Amino acid sequence: MLLDYDRLGWLRAALLGFTGLVAAFLLLPVVFIVLLSFGSSRWLAFPPPSWTLKWYEELFADPAWLNAALTSARIATMAAILAVIIGLMASFALVRGQFRGRNTLRGLLLTPMVLPVVVFAIAIYAFFLRIGLGGTTAGFVIAHTVLALPFAIIPITAALEGFDKSIEDAAIVCGASPFEAKLRVTLPAIKIGIFSAAIFAFLASWDEVVVAIFMASPTLQTLPVKIWGSLRQDLSPVIAAASSLLVLLTLGLMVVTALIRRKLSK
Amino acid sequence: MKLILTGILAGLLAATAAHADEMVFTSWGGTTQEAQTKSWAAPFEASSGIKVLQDGPTDYGKLKAMVEGGGVAWDVVDVEMDFAIKAAKDGLLEPIDFNVVPKADLDPRFTTDHAVGSFYYSFVLAWNKGAVSGEPTGWADMFDLTKFPGKRTFYKWSAPGVIEIALLADGVPADKLYPLDLDRAFKKLDTIKSEIVWWDSGAQSQQLIASGEAAFGQLWNGRVFALKQDGADVGASWNQNMTAADVLVIPKGSKNKASAMKFLAAATSPKSQAMFAEASGYAPINTAAKAEMPADVVKSLPDAYVDGQINLDMSYWAENRDTIAERWYAWQAK
Amino acid sequence: MSGNLLHRPPILRRPDGTGGALPALTLITLFFVVPVLALLLRSVTEPVPGLQNYAILFGDGTYARVFFNTFLVATVVTAVTVIVAFPVAWMLAIMPPALGSIVFGIIILSMWTNLLTRTYAWMVLLQRTGVINRMLMDVGLISEPLPLINNLTGVTIGMVYIMLPFMILPLVGTLRAIDPMTLRAAALCGASPFDAFRRILLPLSLPGIAAGGLMVFVMSLGYFVTPTLLGGTSNMMLAGMIAQMIQSLLNWGLGSAAAFILLLVTMALYALQLRLVGAKRMTGGI
Repeated sequence: MLLDYDRLGWLRAALLGFTGLVAAFLLLPVVFIVLLSFGSSRWLAFPPPSWTLKWYEELFADPAWLNAALTSARIATMAAILAVIIGLMASFALVRGQFRGRNTLRGLLLTPMVLPVVVFAIAIYAFFLRIGLGGTTAGFVIAHTVLALPFAIIPITAALEGFDKSIEDAAIVCGASPFEAKLRVTLPAIKIGIFSAAIFAFLASWDEVVVAIFMASPTLQTLPVKIWGSLRQDLSPVIAAASSLLVLLTLGLMVVTALIRRKLSK
Repeated sequence: MKLILTGILAGLLAATAAHADEMVFTSWGGTTQEAQTKSWAAPFEASSGIKVLQDGPTDYGKLKAMVEGGGVAWDVVDVEMDFAIKAAKDGLLEPIDFNVVPKADLDPRFTTDHAVGSFYYSFVLAWNKGAVSGEPTGWADMFDLTKFPGKRTFYKWSAPGVIEIALLADGVPADKLYPLDLDRAFKKLDTIKSEIVWWDSGAQSQQLIASGEAAFGQLWNGRVFALKQDGADVGASWNQNMTAADVLVIPKGSKNKASAMKFLAAATSPKSQAMFAEASGYAPINTAAKAEMPADVVKSLPDAYVDGQINLDMSYWAENRDTIAERWYAWQAK
Repeated sequence: MSGNLLHRPPILRRPDGTGGALPALTLITLFFVVPVLALLLRSVTEPVPGLQNYAILFGDGTYARVFFNTFLVATVVTAVTVIVAFPVAWMLAIMPPALGSIVFGIIILSMWTNLLTRTYAWMVLLQRTGVINRMLMDVGLISEPLPLINNLTGVTIGMVYIMLPFMILPLVGTLRAIDPMTLRAAALCGASPFDAFRRILLPLSLPGIAAGGLMVFVMSLGYFVTPTLLGGTSNMMLAGMIAQMIQSLLNWGLGSAAAFILLLVTMALYALQLRLVGAKRMTGGI
């Protein structure tokens, strides 16, 4: 009864109402930030005295914002590609390997996801300063690849577990090399998993603040670092304008993701 | 696949350190750093051909880690003076080359072997006129919850200022402040603790007062100046204003030391200091700068309010920075 | 399923791609394990070799308070998240897909929106002169602004907001896997809806709740950004304290020691989680 949508009775109305409230709660800051970006108050008064586009003008007049966005995109793309490639290879071993300590290895590779990022941030910052990678793109990409790796491994292993290996074996029996069989048979079959991995790994880097704050240098600032800096330094509504554009970008990404998923699953 | 990997490698190898004719200036952001960029960095770039990259906010932990780890990315850093004295003692700073930086006109109060003044400022009492009835006249009013109810905002970090304010409000005469009676200060602060909102950056102090989020607070005079210029409805009292200074330092191991020295020379020149004072409302540390400024600007600077002014004791703070900080943060966390 | 090697024709009788884990292992060892260990080493070598940093941390009431706060916040956040997430996940599991996809869309949108952006929005929404207080006062529910920010309330609202998707999504999976017939049978046998909920639905979804709850708890323990921006100084958490020790007090030794304690607690809980649910299903939702 309780799991039959049509037979819940009054409970359904109550639960639906609650779900609606939670959805509104989740939507509230996102909508609010967009409204705030059009408000004229320099000091974030809301509702604002009047509406304006001046924060967007300021945003576009300052090349630092665009540069930060491009830097973020570049680092996140590289980190995502590396994380997916490394994660894909590791996933084969994790799912199909017959070695001892496989579960320990899985646990270890997923650790960056649970270790408090502050601990990792100060550790990697001190470490990179010592080996000369501090403030470099390479350092940034490596650190973010470490953080993105679990987000790549989880969907890929999940997809791989759902894939019947005998199909790959059949290809080998028919004369394909093991590598060829993986490339032509297995990879296409788990492409949704790989695609999810790429998206999650990208987001893990794109949205990462704490490591980025430590790694950033004047010539290398990611978008979250720029936002963090503005939050601490001028608290200007330009942040709201930038954030609104990010929301728009997120919406776009969601649509594209949905479309690609639909296409891939056909 | 190969193409992608090559692309990644190429991207990884593209180093991003500042180039030969560049240097990095780090300060506290907001309206202050904007004024520094406009008054110091821009003219310096034009005359020397050295590009000045801006970074911030100043972060002492990062500075220390950079010097110790050997990857110093900052060439000139704006820091609080008590930190500079301590950091010099800990070997974190390059000595200043006074052959490059002319010393003659620099205010000796803010000049050491390892630092030259950046600007000096006063903590003043500022309030939102819409949120406060009546006019607070001194620090004691910030501790009077019945006469002046509402949230009050103070500087969050352990630094010269708040402890002194509490002691003054508790009746300690200005000339008997040091050595600081910490027990007494914290006891006094306890009486209003639940009403305190801490600000951790200048911009936040402005936002809190301007929006009425806090009715009044202890602000840097330059930030109040900017608020007034922006048309915000704020009042300010200079009674018992407290001066402290920011200084410019060069972290040990700076990769562009020569450029950094030249930058210091330019930033402390009478003309640059005058421009900055006009833009920020903070006082110049070059004694020849006043001649370069319009009379009404001179009148608005901390220099004009020496009556009842209190000079925060930077060397006392440098000496006791760590012990006070430990107690400060422990008290805050309670 | 990799099957039993012995029952396979020779051509297929090789363990598959075990070496493939090498790049990942190298990356994690070099750039994760080594730096973290190096950091922990500082906790027993700075300023002088010895355990004095740990003695300070355990000997001082202030730090005990921070530990307590950290657990308090994580516990409150986890409890609220579970309570709020469960009904939503329940509905999502059985809702008509058209309606469900709207709710899913909203969840994903909030989850993918920049973390700082969301926290920034809460900062402005929750302040004394913020929209929420203004609205409540206009309606006449309150006469004085409620303190919603710079305290436990602010941190809880901000963190529950961030954690909700991590709880809802795996729970939907758990709930969908429950056979509706079980509950129909219970109803036929005369169980009231409340009994059916308490004795069947809840116990059956407990593994999902435990997995998600533990995940949320672990993530909350080490959270930095939200408590820093929405919390007050008197509810500082461990992560914030570590950052302060290093950034303001320049005390890497003490900071590293605190980091080690946070790491130990997190790893212990993580191990427990691996035990309970297995690494595979740990993050079912994402």
